Amino acid sequence: MFFHMVLERNMQLHPRSFGLNLRENLVSKLIKDVEGSCSGRHGFVVAITGIESVGKGLVPDGTSSSALVTFPVKYQCLLFRPFRGEILEAFVTLVNRMGFFAEAGPVQIFVSKLLIPDSMEFQAGDMPNYTTSDGSVKIQKECEVRLKIIGTRVDATEIFCVGTINDDFLAVINDPALAA
Amino acid sequence: MSVASDSPVHSSSSDDLAAFLETELDSGSDSSSESFPIEEEAAEDDTEVSNHRLKRRKLEHLETVDDVDEIEDVASVKFSQEISEASSSKLPCQHPGTFGNMCIVCGQNVEEEETGLSFTYIHKGIKFHQDEVTRMRDIDMKMLQNQRKLCLVLDLDHTLLNSTVLRDLKPEEEYLKSVTHSLQDVSGGDLFMLEFMHMMTKLRPFVRTFLKEASKMFVLYIYTMGDRPYARQMAKLLDPKGEYFGERIISRDDGTVRHQKSLDVVLGQEKAVLILDDTENAWPSHKDNLIVIERYHFFASSCKQFDHRFQSLSQLKSDESEPDGALATVLKVLKQTHSLFFEDGGEDLSSRDVRSLLKQVRKEILKGCKVVFSRVFPTKSQAEDHPLWRVAEGLGATCATEVDESVTHVVAMDVGTEKVRWAIREKKFVVHRGWIDAANYLWKKQPEENFGLEQVKKQGTDEKSDDVNI
Repeated sequence: MFFHMVLERNMQLHPRSFGLNLRENLVSKLIKDVEGSCSGRHGFVVAITGIESVGKGLVPDGTSSSALVTFPVKYQCLLFRPFRGEILEAFVTLVNRMGFFAEAGPVQIFVSKLLIPDSMEFQAGDMPNYTTSDGSVKIQKECEVRLKIIGTRVDATEIFCVGTINDDFLAVINDPALAA
Repeated sequence: MSVASDSPVHSSSSDDLAAFLETELDSGSDSSSESFPIEEEAAEDDTEVSNHRLKRRKLEHLETVDDVDEIEDVASVKFSQEISEASSSKLPCQHPGTFGNMCIVCGQNVEEEETGLSFTYIHKGIKFHQDEVTRMRDIDMKMLQNQRKLCLVLDLDHTLLNSTVLRDLKPEEEYLKSVTHSLQDVSGGDLFMLEFMHMMTKLRPFVRTFLKEASKMFVLYIYTMGDRPYARQMAKLLDPKGEYFGERIISRDDGTVRHQKSLDVVLGQEKAVLILDDTENAWPSHKDNLIVIERYHFFASSCKQFDHRFQSLSQLKSDESEPDGALATVLKVLKQTHSLFFEDGGEDLSSRDVRSLLKQVRKEILKGCKVVFSRVFPTKSQAEDHPLWRVAEGLGATCATEVDESVTHVVAMDVGTEKVRWAIREKKFVVHRGWIDAANYLWKKQPEENFGLEQVKKQGTDEKSDDVNI
């Protein structure tokens, strides 16, 4: 699910970047640090949409030649966080006999064979896939599936999820092979 | 409700059902158990729906009941099925595997200690419990048997190819830089320059044919002591279309024990896996599955690593022979073992073990030879425990400590021993231990003339005996 929130962060800036471009430097450093990171609470930061406010810079006590000044910055950003029970569309990246791996943006989702309906069987080959007995529905690399999230886990830079397609209205949305 | 009338068992009274049960299930059981179903039936006569459902289920059960003993179970099963339908609960989750610490079936957090084997070569973060791995292996075994395939685990360095760091190239090897094959289309060449890895790689002659033929009989795995990027890059050179190995590329980052290789992350049953490696000690617990191959030293740095004083193939500007090389020999052995496994002997395939078949193939090599060793083993130790004795027995030869009429070969390191002189007198073969080692690596009995002890011919049998220490 996507969220649009205001978050706060303390940015440290070296005095060499002070001057006319102070605010620009601050914002570009913020973008570089925060975009693409993720946290357990907020999920994945997709993009920063705006700066709400920049507080007064705090100079640390005691002087040293490499002193960095701290600026508290409030910024608006777009967050992405998967939840348990959420339905997502994902892109299949790897299919093997244990299940398949899919990606929804930065999120890696694994759907195990145990959570794939029994009607779909694994077919090995140079393009391994799961297919129904009549061949009408096929899950293979590079097809889109709709799945339900069963569990999520957030790492420093990645979010892992476990999903299922063993429910109504789930599984393949659009098969590139059939589209032709 | 018309639905109820569809069921042939339906009747307004439970007595008919009891009678039906009796006839269907055969009066082999005792009377007490027979009364059970009837009583239950009477209690549930309240709602037609539940009655009908019970009868439906009972019908299903009657169809599946094979022996008379199951009558008692009918009542209890009926009840439990009711309960399970009502609460729609399943068995507690067994947590067969985890993906980043989450159970792959229920999504709950699973503690670190309970989780099983890491399969990082498939994907980062995925682990499977040992029971699940066994289950997957069994399913795999059935699938492979249908396709008539076994598993083959291949080592990379010195087995299928030889790599060297560019820094270690000797001056006389510099000419190689000008004859490397393009990386755009690797299917034709065998010498590649990998600038971005500071390496040069030479594929062993015959390797492409080997892989093509082996993939028809085996599911192929790569298991190397190199790191993951190296393993993936080599797989791209050997298998540009990804048809032989797929995702089955295990590097040292994916192994469970450092500096050791094991079949625990290979998804095949141990009795259906063969291993091809140049280093025996890398597989401490799977020596029976292992086929040891002669090391491929193309680059000078490779020879130096193993402390050989010989010149490498690149320095000699030559290469291993394609049709006669080590890979061709091993391919023949693999074909032989594979055909023995899938031979239609009437025996159930699940009882066949590829390890014993490999031993069988090996025992053909020196079949019929009786070998006596002379001054090869230190006198204090037991001769039967010496590795060379064991190797000779593994190759099918009978070993003995004393000479007699049936002896065919005397293996010696030194001339002038009584056994050697006896052998010359009796016109038996005298060879040095290289003859046994060669048979082991080349899977064929070698001509004894190539392994003779030179001085034996010069000395002859007339000499006086020196100090004889056998």
